[in-house]
Amino acid sequence: MGPGLLKSADWPLLIDLYFFLGGLAGGAFVIATIANLLDARRYRDVVRMGYYIAFLAIIPGPILLIVDLGVPTRFLHMMMVSKPSLEIGMSALTVGPFHLKLLSPMSAGAWALLGFSVCAFLVALDVFLEDRGGRSMSVLRLVAGVIGGFFGFFLAAYPGVLLGATARPLFISAHWLGALFLVVGASSGGAAIALILSLLGSRARESLSQLMRFTAFALILQLAALALFIITVQMSGSTGIAQALAKLLAGPYSLAFWLGAVVVGIVVPLALQLGGGIKKAAPGMTALASALILIGGFLVKYVIIAAGQAT
Amino acid sequence: MARTLAMFTDVSLCIGCRACQVACKQWNQLAPEEPEWTGSYQNHAHFTDKTYRLVRFFEETDATGQMKQWHMMSDVCKHCAQAGCLEACPTGAIYRTEYGTVNINQDICNGCRYCVSACPFGVVAFNHDTGTATKCTFCNDRIHNGLGPACAKACPTESIRFGFRDELAGKAKQRVEELKKLGYKDAQLYGEDTNGALGGLNAFFLLLGKPSIYGLPDKPKLPQRNVIADSLLSIGSALLVGLGALVAFRSRDDKGGA
Repeated sequence: MGPGLLKSADWPLLIDLYFFLGGLAGGAFVIATIANLLDARRYRDVVRMGYYIAFLAIIPGPILLIVDLGVPTRFLHMMMVSKPSLEIGMSALTVGPFHLKLLSPMSAGAWALLGFSVCAFLVALDVFLEDRGGRSMSVLRLVAGVIGGFFGFFLAAYPGVLLGATARPLFISAHWLGALFLVVGASSGGAAIALILSLLGSRARESLSQLMRFTAFALILQLAALALFIITVQMSGSTGIAQALAKLLAGPYSLAFWLGAVVVGIVVPLALQLGGGIKKAAPGMTALASALILIGGFLVKYVIIAAGQAT
Repeated sequence: MARTLAMFTDVSLCIGCRACQVACKQWNQLAPEEPEWTGSYQNHAHFTDKTYRLVRFFEETDATGQMKQWHMMSDVCKHCAQAGCLEACPTGAIYRTEYGTVNINQDICNGCRYCVSACPFGVVAFNHDTGTATKCTFCNDRIHNGLGPACAKACPTESIRFGFRDELAGKAKQRVEELKKLGYKDAQLYGEDTNGALGGLNAFFLLLGKPSIYGLPDKPKLPQRNVIADSLLSIGSALLVGLGALVAFRSRDDKGGA
């Protein structure tokens, strides 16, 4: 009876798409920053493409979020209101008209999205100017790259923490959604860079193989986080958890979960890479594996959100 | 903060007349809705953007499936001392009044619907006409003018009582003792204890059995309690991902490549 009482936000596909693109942007940005820090010249292709992808992937983010609001013209209220109320929660920080609620992942996420977007724009602009024959402002790229990297991690993980802070049975008893979403962001960010580099016929065959080595590692983490998520939910034993989990694993969403998120999204690309893909880094194989990782990365977020929201 | 106001709903006195539900609709000018036929006297199945007070009907059966007792309970927003909706709200539209009640400022809410999924009792509802979230306000306009909430005023059996929280809690405890003497040995209070779940509910209940009979969670949990642990696990996985990237991009690929 208990869970029948609960309501759902009924966030539509727009939000799943934002969660996927935000994670992808964050992941691509972090990879570009780390490659840039290690050897900016050797990994030039990865850095350029990572920063471009991060910038392009985050552009639809705010639009998707604003369109989904009940009153889109009030989107700024996520960060500021002209006359704030006094008691708006135990974790609220207010400065003038601005507010940040540390225990509300949506509030923190709105600020992180702003911070990330600024960094992604600055770094992408720097890369663009360099591509046009100008000189890179390496200090700016370094500072915005590192700060944006932290925001990038945050952007990938916070949707999972946000879901965990709802009363939906599948979400409230899971503690691994933030970690899962973060590694999905990492794998899809890496896959997006690899896909485009291999389609462009990049000469940087070596950096492509290193990129695939990283995504293979991220996929293993993704599998582990997914398993930990299911085990934690199963063991929580809270009311309504059996039905909620059954929707995901055996019910209407099971095909998308097992075939889409697990087999197509993790097992096949991992097998492709471990079975010789990494060593040779054949562009066709890399492109195929990357495309599958991207499909799986979207599906795993979509299917968990859909199953958790279904009543 | 002024003295906390509260609502005490005594299920043992409820006759299921739904005067409270109608009074709520009238005072708050909530539009009528199509009835939902669910096989029970209850209408509607859930709280909606136009139903803030809801009389619930439950048929308790014994092990053989025989009807044991027919329960009715007038349900309402609990105005939790630790409110999931209030903590979730990213806009600050949901606020606590000086009387300890929880309200949604309709001029600030932007319709993100996070509060709808964060309420442990499924109270907050989304209004598609205004694009905002709505729920019971304890008749905020009435209580700020010395009138009780419309539902409590309308209740003919005093099943719903309104007043200062500390006074009501004393009366509620007495009533439980009375009922126990009369043989209702499972009579219990739900949400009265300010040291209990969610820091106590400002709309608390006297139930004649386990909370689950009434569809209420035995131990409601503040969803935001997960945020710190979930964030720490996310940070841990971020460190692993960062480390993985460092190792992957450090290594030279001797076998393939240029």
